[in-house]
Amino acid sequence: MSALIELTGITKVLKGQQEPRTILAGVNLTVQPGESVAIVGRSGSGKSTLLSVLGLFDRPDEGSYLLAGEDISRLPERKAAKLRSSHFGFVFQRFFLLKHLTAAQNVAMALVNGQGWLPRRERRARVLQALDQVGIAHLAKNRPARMSGGEQQRVAIARALVREPRVLLADEPTGALDTETGTAVIDALLGATERGCGLVLVTHDRDHAARMGRTLDLVDGVLTERVPA
Amino acid sequence: MRRLSGRLRSALIIGLQGIRARKMRTLLSMVSLFLGVLAVVVVQAGASIADKALLSDIELTSAVDGTTIINLQMQPKATGIVLDTLHERSDAVAMLGVQAIIGEPNVAPVNPGASPFDEDWGGGVVCYGNGPCQPADAQPKGQAVEVRLTAMTGDVRPFRPLRPRTGQWLDFTTVPAMAPRIVVNREAAKGFERYQVPAEMRIGGAAANVTPQFVGVVDDGDAQPRAYVRLDELTTWLPETGLADPNSGGEMQVLVSPGSPVEQVLTAKLKGIGAETWTETVDAKKQMESQLKLLRLVFLAMAGLVLLIGVAGILNVGLATVGERVEEFALRRAVGTPRMLLAGIVLAETLLTGLFTAAVAIGLSAAGLRAVSVLVGDSEPFLRDLQFPWEAGIAGIIAGLVAGLLGGFIPALRAAGIPIATVMRA
Ligand SMILES: Nc1ncnc2c1ncn2[C@@H]1O[C@H](COP(=O)(O)OP(=O)(O)O)[C@@H](O)[C@H]1O
Ligand SMILES: [Mg+2]
Repeated sequence: MSALIELTGITKVLKGQQEPRTILAGVNLTVQPGESVAIVGRSGSGKSTLLSVLGLFDRPDEGSYLLAGEDISRLPERKAAKLRSSHFGFVFQRFFLLKHLTAAQNVAMALVNGQGWLPRRERRARVLQALDQVGIAHLAKNRPARMSGGEQQRVAIARALVREPRVLLADEPTGALDTETGTAVIDALLGATERGCGLVLVTHDRDHAARMGRTLDLVDGVLTERVPA
Repeated sequence: MRRLSGRLRSALIIGLQGIRARKMRTLLSMVSLFLGVLAVVVVQAGASIADKALLSDIELTSAVDGTTIINLQMQPKATGIVLDTLHERSDAVAMLGVQAIIGEPNVAPVNPGASPFDEDWGGGVVCYGNGPCQPADAQPKGQAVEVRLTAMTGDVRPFRPLRPRTGQWLDFTTVPAMAPRIVVNREAAKGFERYQVPAEMRIGGAAANVTPQFVGVVDDGDAQPRAYVRLDELTTWLPETGLADPNSGGEMQVLVSPGSPVEQVLTAKLKGIGAETWTETVDAKKQMESQLKLLRLVFLAMAGLVLLIGVAGILNVGLATVGERVEEFALRRAVGTPRMLLAGIVLAETLLTGLFTAAVAIGLSAAGLRAVSVLVGDSEPFLRDLQFPWEAGIAGIIAGLVAGLLGGFIPALRAAGIPIATVMRA
């Protein structure tokens, strides 16, 4: 059986006003279903850039990207949007909740995205299930302004999980949280891997990285396995 | 199909959430657009109403659109041919015009030549039953009014919708009355009101003077005093040949429905006896267009300019809103919302704003028209019973939608172009 994700020789060159800068210089990465991978590295080393390639926000300049055996390295935007909806869940350092919507509506926005249509009742059931999965079903009717940072991030995780994605991509999801709430957020993310979801976590926190199956270091645009000390 | 309806529903949900979250902005957009849409609605309403007024004016003074009018030179034989041809037909009617003096015998009318009462055309000829004619000023002016008398072979109103004012219109279904029933126009009615004349009618060429019965007053759009009568009630007293006498100021006009064979038959027959005819067909649209086109164009251009300012307002608010929602749009793209749908949502919001504005502008214009109609309808008859023209409603909706489209287009493109990676980067 093919791996969930298989990156081979991915490069990304940034062409700004200045000299072109190579951010990713041949990244290789394999993620199996249910596997969790931590990616660590200095600030500015290209971790977010790697995640945006993984999540189809951006296309690599070179290299191949196989998703469940299928080459998606040069996908047109229309198909990429469809895959983002059906296969990926995203969690960011900032929660990106819409403040005029309730927690439930914020989660539902991943279902109301023009990719397939669920009847209202089914939508509500899925939203409640996702909120329950991260332990905040009781906050469904609250707006973000009345929730703590940890609660807001869990709403964001519920939003990422509501379509039952194959891959969860998390970019420093605990960066804005204290240790204790951060741990609860990592618990919620790891919970998803038990149902066969792959998890790629970018983090600066050694303890959180240690809870993942593997830890990879992004140095000079290349991923290297970090041997546990 | 299913995919489309899913997108549509998603767009609707997201668009309504957006509008509800930004009611103030929506309101501001509507305010900036309001005057422009209102101007378009008012100009179109004015144009439609003027068109209708003009059309009914044309119908009143000449004939309904498409009617063929045959004017013919009077000669005794021609009258006979016309009356024979039109006998028992409903698709054409002939009108014979003669001068008639109604009032005291042996006096000159107050308005020689059937001139309007506030003008004096002077001169004129007065004729007597079986007697000679003489210049009008040969006798003292007295209790008599001169009118242009129109005798009809049938009901003229299907061809020329004269508007009844008081009393009744002529009834063409009854047996001809011995005393001819006449309906006068408003100018003539004014004369009879001003000069209380005893009712005796003198007509050039008539065998005797007759006493007419007044049955009603109509508006025929004519400034000259006129009276209308059934031809068969008049011919009891006056031979047809007398009516056709050019010396007594006779004239004849035949009104023919579109598509009727009467026109061809009649002109052929008249040509046979050498009578000249002049034929014209009423083309109201052509007549109206030349009259109002330029004015409407100028007004519409002005309304368009005001609308453009409204578009700039929507555009401004739209751009600011998109700028504020960069994160929301990037997030929506991240969870899989297609770019087209994002653009569609922004456009849907401005289009809805345009529609709301149009609804308000149309409602206010309709209410304003009602108010004007009620307040000044008594003094200006054409403002009475004014209906809000549907063309103005359509114009308003189109203006609102076009403004929404123009104002939302650039913000929609911006929204669709927001890159996910740069916004979401930690
Ligand atoms: N939009 C951008 N324009 C210019 N430079 C950028 C942009 N995004 C990222 N970079 C640069 O690319 C490099 C990698 O950034 P990033 O992937 O965000 O690193 P990390 O997430 O590891 O901190 C950084 O040096 C950053 O300055
Ligand atoms: Mg980063």
